[in-house]
Amino acid sequence: MDKVKLKLIYPKWNKLPGQTTFNLPPHGPVAFAATLPEYVDISFTDENVEAIDFDEECDLVALSMMLTTQVKRGWAIADEYHKRGKKVIAGGISTMLHAEEMVNHVDSVFLGESEGRSEQVIIDWKNGCLKKIYNYMGNQPPIESVGPCRRDLYKRELYNHKGVQMVDLFHASRGCRFSCYPCAVSYLGGRKFRPRPVDKVVEDMASIDNNRLFIVDNSLAQDKQWEMELFKAIAPLKKKWISHTIEDDPEVLDLAAKAGAWYVYQAVYDTSEYIKERVKRYHDYGIGVEGTILLGLDNQTVDDCKRLIDFLGEIDLDLAEFTVMTPFPHTKAYDDLLRQGRIFDFDWNHYNAGQVVFQPKLMTPEQLQDVYDYAWKSFYAAETQESKMFRLFCNVALREMEEGTYRPRNRKLANKSFGRDVDRSKRNVNLRPE
Amino acid sequence: MKVSEEYYDEIFQFKGQWDMPSSCGLKIRNVNGKTYVIVTELYQDNPGTSVTYAGRSLAEQICEQKSLDLNKIVYLECNPNTNSKLSFYDEEYFQVDFNADRQNMYRQLTKDEIMKILGR
Repeated sequence: MDKVKLKLIYPKWNKLPGQTTFNLPPHGPVAFAATLPEYVDISFTDENVEAIDFDEECDLVALSMMLTTQVKRGWAIADEYHKRGKKVIAGGISTMLHAEEMVNHVDSVFLGESEGRSEQVIIDWKNGCLKKIYNYMGNQPPIESVGPCRRDLYKRELYNHKGVQMVDLFHASRGCRFSCYPCAVSYLGGRKFRPRPVDKVVEDMASIDNNRLFIVDNSLAQDKQWEMELFKAIAPLKKKWISHTIEDDPEVLDLAAKAGAWYVYQAVYDTSEYIKERVKRYHDYGIGVEGTILLGLDNQTVDDCKRLIDFLGEIDLDLAEFTVMTPFPHTKAYDDLLRQGRIFDFDWNHYNAGQVVFQPKLMTPEQLQDVYDYAWKSFYAAETQESKMFRLFCNVALREMEEGTYRPRNRKLANKSFGRDVDRSKRNVNLRPE
Repeated sequence: MKVSEEYYDEIFQFKGQWDMPSSCGLKIRNVNGKTYVIVTELYQDNPGTSVTYAGRSLAEQICEQKSLDLNKIVYLECNPNTNSKLSFYDEEYFQVDFNADRQNMYRQLTKDEIMKILGR
């Protein structure tokens, strides 16, 4: 088969203003790339860290998109390539969430998981019969067929801040048996939890040239037996990792800590003793906690939100991430708010979880926006987000030194931040878009 | 989040968005000369598209299978009570007007209206 030059693009989006700037190497594009046949020669651009050269020679363009805030930029990129006579295909999470609109902007839309399916798209394109839609929704490939991602496509120096390499994203499972109110994962990956075979996970993880990972699975706490086997199996790799929730069980937490759990994302949804104890239990095992706080639920007043924010100071969180309720398509939140006529903004660029796009029940949109801004400022008033991140970084570096896995930062990149020169007179925060 | 069987007379299998196999609860009631078609979201027991997202397509599939005229029925979506602590899983009924714009498509029914239709 003749070589095919594929331009693979991860479109940029406007980062939330005021927050610490960081860019992680995206997972979706390299997971897709791994499913393409060898004769496809891939050139990858993550537009968040480098500009697209629209005139770079290529045969076909693929857009990989994860976030709703990426889709409009993706459509603009498709327009540019159409002017140059190129065909554009699109896939990924937000392509699936916005598929009806996506078909109007690109030549072909791929819905579902691509293992064992992507070569047909290339063959159809070569034969001049690219389909408008490749629909594999609800028809997931065997989980055993999920292989290592094409991380060789990353330009590693672009995911580096002052010499420190960013974590690599990794997935140990797909699907989710929970159907949480604001989440679309069960729609995207199915309502069945599909853990990868542990030996495959170990093989994949071991191949990553990075000792720090972010296991991006929705929740590892879905199959206790598998979770425990996983932690036992990855412990010898001595990787340090971030993840979402881990089973609240002493035996599992102990195994997680021994397997390198660095810190976890834990939803803080009320001011209960349960939450306080949950955070404490993680800390007891040496696992840090980043609280995720969703503001604007129907049972919250402004005062409730402020009480919740004050409560964070009492539970010793290492980091906190605040978001406003956002009705992403294919979530129950979207269905409910749509039926109630409470969504007033359908501009997908505003669906960044930091901008209010709906009418809250017990406050005005302006009050919710204010309380969101207050939350970020209040939590990080005494110590900046960057400084708290640095403390977590020091914790992991010390553990790595004890275990002999610490890699000193790359001095050659000490004056670079995500490919750009560091301006030491400025804080490393996102600015408002022009 | 199991939905109680009292919400439906039958499970209706339908083609969801992108042909995804999907399920909902279905009740059909004739009250005072009107035909009410009530679809209930099944959450964990619906492997595909939600009743709200399926919208008109679901209504058309029901009408075709039950030999009903979409223009002559009153179409209701039910958000069933799942005994969750979370308020957004409380019971709600909405009348759907597929000809209205996105903002005015849904009207929430009062308890009295629900009682008149369902007799409870």
